[in-house]
Order: sequence, then C-alpha cells, then structure tokens
Amino acid sequence: MALTDADLVARVLLDDDHHAFAELVRNHQSSVRGLLRQLVRADVSLADDLAQETFLRAYKNLRSFRGEARFSTWLYRIAYNCFREEARKRKELVGIDEAQLEAEHDPQTVDPALRHDLAHALKLLPLHERTAVLLCCQNGLSHDEASRVLDIPLGTVKTNVLRGREKLKRSLAAWGSN
Amino acid sequence: MDENLQGDSLDARLREEASYIDDAGFTAAVVRKLPAQRVRRSYRAAILLAVTAVASVVVYLLAGNSGFIAEAVTRVVFMPLSLIYLLAIGAGLLLMGLSVGAAISKTRGQRLR
Repeated sequence: MALTDADLVARVLLDDDHHAFAELVRNHQSSVRGLLRQLVRADVSLADDLAQETFLRAYKNLRSFRGEARFSTWLYRIAYNCFREEARKRKELVGIDEAQLEAEHDPQTVDPALRHDLAHALKLLPLHERTAVLLCCQNGLSHDEASRVLDIPLGTVKTNVLRGREKLKRSLAAWGSN
Repeated sequence: MDENLQGDSLDARLREEASYIDDAGFTAAVVRKLPAQRVRRSYRAAILLAVTAVASVVVYLLAGNSGFIAEAVTRVVFMPLSLIYLLAIGAGLLLMGLSVGAAISKTRGQRLR
C-alpha cells in the first residue's frame, strides 16, 4: 500500500528518513516544477533551481508543517515565496510591461504559430492573475487554499481568477476568429 | 476557437496543458543536497540509555560499592518536611522554566515566512 504524504512526513520527522523525503519529492516534483515554469515564463533552468530550493526549504522547515493544509498547498506556498524572492532580486515582480501586454493581446501582432496556444495566452496575463489561475484552475486549489498560498485576501483571489479567466477566453477567442 | 468557451472546458484545457514533468534526476539532485542524516531518534534513545547505565555502574564501582545510595536516602528521610517541600517546589519550577525555554526556542524559527 502506498504511503500517504502524512506518513512520509512523519517518517522524515521521526527518523530523518531521506528515502521518505525522496518519495515526497518524487510525488510533488512535477506540479511544483510546472507551477514555477509557468511563473518564470518557461525559463526551465531557473524554474528547476527554484524548485530545488523549494524542496530544500521544505525539508528544513518540515516541523512547521502541521497538516492543517494539504502538503502540496504548503509546498506551493514555499515555491511562491522562493519565486517572489527571486523576482525581487531581479526586479521583475511588477510583471511585464503593460504596453508590451497590450501589443501581445493584439491578434495582428501575435505570431501565427502561437495562436490557439493556451500556454502563450497564460504568459500574457499579469503575474497576480496568472498565479491565481494557475493555482485554482490548473492545480485544483480552492480559492481559500490559493489565498493562503499567495497570502492575499480571499476576495482578491476570486477577482484575480475571474479576470484571468476572462482574459484567457478573450485571447483565445480573438486568435481563433482570425 | 469557440467564442463561447465555457469555464469548465477552459479549466480542462489548463489541466491538459500541465503535462507531467519527468523526474529526470531531479529528486536525486535534491536528496544529494540534503544535510547529512542525523542519528535515528530510536538509536539516540538507546545510546543515551546505554551511556547512562554504564555511567551509573562506573560511579557505583568508583564509590567502592559503598552504601552511598542508602546514605542519601537516610539523609532525605531525616530532612525536615518543610525543606523537602521547598526542594520539590524548586525542582518543579526549574523544570517548568527549562521546558518553557525549550518550547520557545523550538517554535522560534519554525515559522515559514
């Protein structure tokens, strides 16, 4: 029988079991790396560095995981904090330039090869909307869980998800109509 | 593209977009960077018990098998009751202080930003 996240966490805490922690990493690496790749706009190497840092921090702070939230939610919070720190270092937290955003939303300026490309439409969203959409719509977090991950009010998460989804629909519809 | 793309189908497409990322040595790289393994807690308890037992035997032998334990018990028995109470309260307070200090130092630094 496969061990649950809670069982594996208990083994790490009790016996400092590296095998149990490796199992946790294996179970969650794809979703954490995927989220970070979307956040850093597909810079795979940077995303993997941040994912590695996320798991190392998780290991060091495992005692603070009290099991009130899902282990994946807790990991997303650490991953998002790692991303924010990196973004702050690189002064990119404000997201992409608004003029660039408008230009990219214009169907005439979009590379035809990228039309219908949901991943590309996601990249065009402002950071706060992109993150909320990724967490709630792609990774299946509830609004409440996302608000804890992002450390913002529940209402703001709902608004960001709604706006992000509307923009995604508009982008995809506009590209598709040409 | 369907202009009336429903929210559910958008979510489904988003989930499809998040394809599984192959581990490709990622887990091994993380595990290599973990700090060295501590001695297992169960082993630690056994080691502590063994060391305590050996130390007790050594002290007993060094004391020349004398009845120092009986001597100590006799001394405690003949102590005034008020002094025994005082000692008990003092020991309790000391233990409580140490426990509170340990709890504070343990919780500090455990909280993630």
